[in-house]
Amino acid sequence: MGYEPKLVCFSCKFGWGYLRDLDGPKEASVFLIPVECSGKLDAIHLLKVFKEGADGVLILACEEGHCHFQEGNFRALKMLYLLEEVLWAHGIQKERVRIAFSLDPEGRGIPDRIVQMKNSLAALGPLDRALL
Amino acid sequence: MWNTVSKGTAAVERAVKQYLPPCQEQCPINEDIQRTNVLISLLPDDPETAAPAILQIGDYLYDKNPFFSVCGYVCGLCELECNYHAKGGAIKRRLLKRFISDTYIPHLETREEWSLIKHKENVAIVGGGPAGLMAGFDLSRRGYRVTIFEASDRLGGALWLIPRYRLPERVLTSTLEGMVRMVGMDVRLNTRIGQGKWTLEKLRNEGFKAIFIAQGTPTPRTLTFGRNQVEGQDLSGVMYGQTFLYEVSHGNIRPNYFTGKKVLVIGGGNVAFDVARTARRLGGETSIVALECEDKASRDGIPADVEEIRGAWEEGIRIIYSRGVEKIIGESERMKGLVCPRCVRVYDEKGFNPAFDPADTLVLDGDVLIVTVGQGPDWTALQEEGLVDGHGRLAVDPVTLQSRNRKPVFVGGDLRKIGFMVEAMQDGLVAAESIERYLQDRDMTEGRKRVFEVQDIPMRRHYLTEPEVVWIPPEKRMHFQLFERGFTLTEAIEEARRCLACGPCISCKACVSIGLRDSLNPAEVLTDRCCGCGICVSACFYSAIQLKDVDMGRISLTDAFKCKSCGMCVSSCPSGARTLGEDALEAALMTAAAGLQNSPGAVP
Repeated sequence: MGYEPKLVCFSCKFGWGYLRDLDGPKEASVFLIPVECSGKLDAIHLLKVFKEGADGVLILACEEGHCHFQEGNFRALKMLYLLEEVLWAHGIQKERVRIAFSLDPEGRGIPDRIVQMKNSLAALGPLDRALL
Repeated sequence: MWNTVSKGTAAVERAVKQYLPPCQEQCPINEDIQRTNVLISLLPDDPETAAPAILQIGDYLYDKNPFFSVCGYVCGLCELECNYHAKGGAIKRRLLKRFISDTYIPHLETREEWSLIKHKENVAIVGGGPAGLMAGFDLSRRGYRVTIFEASDRLGGALWLIPRYRLPERVLTSTLEGMVRMVGMDVRLNTRIGQGKWTLEKLRNEGFKAIFIAQGTPTPRTLTFGRNQVEGQDLSGVMYGQTFLYEVSHGNIRPNYFTGKKVLVIGGGNVAFDVARTARRLGGETSIVALECEDKASRDGIPADVEEIRGAWEEGIRIIYSRGVEKIIGESERMKGLVCPRCVRVYDEKGFNPAFDPADTLVLDGDVLIVTVGQGPDWTALQEEGLVDGHGRLAVDPVTLQSRNRKPVFVGGDLRKIGFMVEAMQDGLVAAESIERYLQDRDMTEGRKRVFEVQDIPMRRHYLTEPEVVWIPPEKRMHFQLFERGFTLTEAIEEARRCLACGPCISCKACVSIGLRDSLNPAEVLTDRCCGCGICVSACFYSAIQLKDVDMGRISLTDAFKCKSCGMCVSSCPSGARTLGEDALEAALMTAAAGLQNSPGAVP
């Protein structure tokens, strides 16, 4: 293949991996950013990381009904619907952004999800930053 | 695994006026309910790794409420006001606390005592119940030398009247022993104050600079009909509920004591139900005769809790509503039955004033009569010590609990006002604060009355339903073991997760204490960018944002006491007029951006 996609992963601190000290993935191409709540993420934040060189964004949010701040996870989903349209308008595939709703206190599932996301990004190829 | 830390930023703050979640406002001692609920919700689901974290939560609770292990079995006042009440059932806080208690009790039994420096005055506490022990515990931690004078042969007072099937003996004894041991209080058992050689004057002469009287209500109320005592209360087979429960808890009544006997219990309160259910477990064919009617919503409704009534009914106890007792029928010095006219009214505008229908009378047969119609203090002793005013009431300031007649004396607990266990504990804490102020010659009232406002239920689309509480089936329940099943670790985490954490951060800070967040900066508004559109108002789940008209136009403002720093308003603001100050997300994005630029991307 010869191409390794760069991935930014936002994870909710109240739902994912709070029982482990997450050093972050060891690969240089994955950037893990724990946030207080997925609802805190703005489309601006995501566009920014795309601009800086990311090929895809993965958001790890809480399971439905389990958000510590009531329903920030739902807000994040709403934001994504809009962002997908914006990306599409710029000719960027919607599949470059993905959100997962679950609870994973130990963060056991995070590496797997990152691998899956990277595989689908690899299939898409590098993001043409001129589109942004 | 996380560790709770007691650094400054993680300490809950106390203010004269503040918002609290409704449960904490309802709790007389304002236990940090939300904080510990959130901590339970963040426990690992593996019992072995969870154990040390459960003890940390227990230690935190113990610091403020050394009785929490008992509360976890018998209280639950907070659940009455839970915001979730109308949306799927209150959070089962009592069972969550019982869950912590079950791990904590063995730890408490071996926990090392606190090393406290007792350099302050001697204080005497009269009565070793919840009020007295709480005052003694608090004063000892403040550095006072405390001596508890207890009339009976063990501490605990009215807590011993709670039947074993609701509160296991080990939980109670370990809690009581733990309290005395942890702070090093001096206890003198079998010492009744106000009788014989021990008077308040003597205590003063012995060097006690202040005295807290919390003797409770040891005297059972007798049965009356109209204005007269009901005759026959001296017959054999007639006893009083408090005395009965006391004897049972002391192990003086053998199993099957009532087998083959018809037991009649008079009273409609929780104590009457405790008595009836205890009598049933001792083999008696038991009936409760209550003055009040079945409809709890009416003014004359039965005061006992729904759970008690349900439990009694399941156990085969007959409940006879709206009946008074006019006469006890005796036969050769033994009680044989009751004459019960129908009660048509219990309360009128002025208060307790029952009226009966003489035409409708029921005669009940019985071998044993247990009268449980309330209890009162030992008035003779109080009068002798000059603590009563001209109207025959206790002369005591309700805010400071200081006696109006004798300044070094403070009065509290059931003796002052019959209530729940935690209300007596509150009196103990109030008295401890008053005693310190009195001994330090400070203002007794300044800042004592705190005003709390209750936080409303947050907006949400999904509410979760409450778990079912499992009771052992009635046919397997006729013993003095617990009949209610506690939470497993998984159930406790699940239930704690249901808590909406509706209260503000200032009285919680669970996330800061375990390092999940560094700080809790309330959202700020850049007024020159804010156009007053109000999107943030609807974005905030906690109604912490309001619009305000100023000179330049309309802007939004954040109530810093309600703001939970979640950032919903920041991400929803279309003009970037809201920030969370020095936010970790911005810094993390900068780092990631630098990394992305330096990362090669393509691997050869």
